[in-house]
Amino acid sequence: MKLTRTWLSVVTVAVAVIATACGGSTGTTTNPADQTGTLTVWLMNGSAPQSVIDSVNADFNAKYPKVTVKVEIQQWGDIGTKLDTAFGGSNPPDVIELGNTLVAKYAAADALENISGKKSSFDNSNTWLQSLTDSCTVNSKLYCVPYYAGSRAIIYRKDFFTAANVQVPTSMDDLLTVGQKLMTAHSSDPNFSALYFPGKYWYAALPFVWDFGGNIATQSGDKWQGSLNADGSQQGLVKLQNLVNALSRADKTGDEAKQDAAFAQGHIAMIIANGWEVGVITDPEAGNPALKDKLGAFPIPSHNSGQTAPVFLGGSDLAVAARSKHTDLANAWIGMLTGQKHMTDMATVGGVIPNTTSLLGLGTGLNQVFFGAAKNSRFVPNSKNWASVENANVLPDMLVKIFTKQQTIPEATGSASSRITSILNGGG
Amino acid sequence: MGMAVAAPDLEPVPPFSPSPPYRAWLRANILPYALISPSVLVIAGILAFPLGMLVWLSLQHYGLRELIHHAGDWVGLDNYRAILVDPLFHQVIVRSLLFTFACVALTVVLSTLIALLLLKVRSAVRILVMSSLVFVWATPVIVSVDIWQWMFDYEFGVINYLLTQLHLGNFIHHNWFDNPVQGLGVLVVVVVWGAIPFVTITVFAGLLQVPNDVIDAAKVDGASAWHTFWYVTAPLLKPIFLIVTCLSTIWDFGVFNQIYVMLNQRPSSDYFTIAIYSYRESFGVTQYGLGAAIAVLMVLVLVFVTFFYVRETVKVAEIA
Repeated sequence: MKLTRTWLSVVTVAVAVIATACGGSTGTTTNPADQTGTLTVWLMNGSAPQSVIDSVNADFNAKYPKVTVKVEIQQWGDIGTKLDTAFGGSNPPDVIELGNTLVAKYAAADALENISGKKSSFDNSNTWLQSLTDSCTVNSKLYCVPYYAGSRAIIYRKDFFTAANVQVPTSMDDLLTVGQKLMTAHSSDPNFSALYFPGKYWYAALPFVWDFGGNIATQSGDKWQGSLNADGSQQGLVKLQNLVNALSRADKTGDEAKQDAAFAQGHIAMIIANGWEVGVITDPEAGNPALKDKLGAFPIPSHNSGQTAPVFLGGSDLAVAARSKHTDLANAWIGMLTGQKHMTDMATVGGVIPNTTSLLGLGTGLNQVFFGAAKNSRFVPNSKNWASVENANVLPDMLVKIFTKQQTIPEATGSASSRITSILNGGG
Repeated sequence: MGMAVAAPDLEPVPPFSPSPPYRAWLRANILPYALISPSVLVIAGILAFPLGMLVWLSLQHYGLRELIHHAGDWVGLDNYRAILVDPLFHQVIVRSLLFTFACVALTVVLSTLIALLLLKVRSAVRILVMSSLVFVWATPVIVSVDIWQWMFDYEFGVINYLLTQLHLGNFIHHNWFDNPVQGLGVLVVVVVWGAIPFVTITVFAGLLQVPNDVIDAAKVDGASAWHTFWYVTAPLLKPIFLIVTCLSTIWDFGVFNQIYVMLNQRPSSDYFTIAIYSYRESFGVTQYGLGAAIAVLMVLVLVFVTFFYVRETVKVAEIA
């Protein structure tokens, strides 16, 4: 026993000496307390609550007191452009939060550090959510750490439902019926929407496409084929168009950015939203805290009664720029944010789905519905060219054309499909 | 020849020339170029170099990978071929030209009317109008377009509210951008609003230079106000009209900010003008070579469109 211990300490010392020797070549990188520099972190708007960021930085600075952490919050709107420019430059941010649909593009372009060898140094890496891990894996190499996931469900006003004497719908047809009853009950309010659905909200349109067996694109061999014009996809979009026509007074050319603020104003009965949006709706400054007890949530129903429609599994990953001058510090920071302690905060305070299955039990109350929705979830085509489909606004444009009746569903889906085929196969 | 022979009689060559002939030659042929060369170098540095880089980029396949590695693949004219067969590009060109025509025509006509009005009003009103114009001009585009966006907002916009209150129809939840023709009309308003101050002030400055006796003479001859303007004032202001039309054409053809901000940075393809299209291909689909090729074509179209104005401007300058 004693011998083993001695051996262990000898080995430890040896490892430390070797580590010091290796670190020595790059200066004083071995002792965390002596490391200096500025670590730039790009997080997306709405990802981590400020309290969580502050707590991560406090822990980080306790270990690396001489390192300055600069957390810069980015907006989702035109993040693709901003990321391209940042990665193209010689001084990109060190830590970058990437939407899970964007990782493949940047990994394939060698913009991200390959962290395959460091995987085991991150907490819970054996129980990371599979779909997020998949989004980080390109050509069997790991390029990012899963951060959090989000899946959408319907947030509704319980008081409106009670007043109109309707129940939570159990099928898409039922959703239409319930919505129509709500519209009738509020017919004196010209701003009322039973289901508020902005025209460009493609994340919320996908469940309808998937529920009827449709898809965005299918892969055979290494060729992609857009399939939004397939029968199932079109049936789903017909169903959605009927719902939007009958129940929504949202801007048919707008996006979902303002939906929480609109919901908080009290003229909306239902929105399709992420779990964390409950917090935005009831925010004392931007929203209306009085709605706290009036909100409920239920999964988007399937057209088959009693089932739920598959939803888009959104989420974010954290990556280190390949050109970062502080890759070790960057990985250390990511390790803290994605570690057990702060992931627990993300799930309980932030209301997002944590990156590990071991913490899924933390979903309580309304969050339970959103955590549950993630179980029946789908993803966009996993291609390095998918980001270009997003940046070219193919799906939002198609939806706007359909909702504003500029094109019929067969026309709009036909041209969107051929565009998607072309982009996914590497064309413009 | 006769002149050359006669010349020595009229003006004999001095016995000691102050400068040898090569110096005179140098002075006549090199000096002007030497004097202009610093400005040419500066212009080459800030205009020709980027333009050259743009042309060079347009001949390469340049995606994200190439951007990160700082090296593209040479593809010759492939990018141009791809664009010229793209039906979207044809729509974009036609849309951009019509949009530019509408904006320039409205800008010049309205600005001239305001400038003429300024001549007639009391000086207090003139100062008020002029300072408002300067304020409009001084407001950063992004800020003013944001305000316009709120005014035309679908749910909370004051325009919909006002039009409904004035009983001009039911504009509650009227979406100005549902129909691209109407949406582009709104954008024309926004662009023209921002363009009027410069053109008005320039035309007004020109009007102040029109001699009063010419106008009086026309009036004495019995010319109507319209005839006076059309046959006397307008020809005198021709150089100014040429310059403001030319500049407005260049600015409006490259319009970007107004459309991009007004449509929440995600304009649908119905609102693509050539600058937006180029941006979308470059940064949206990460095809920088393709985007560069569109930009080069944009410059060519613009050169073609403005050639007429520039030629006229040069002619006018020569006469003057």
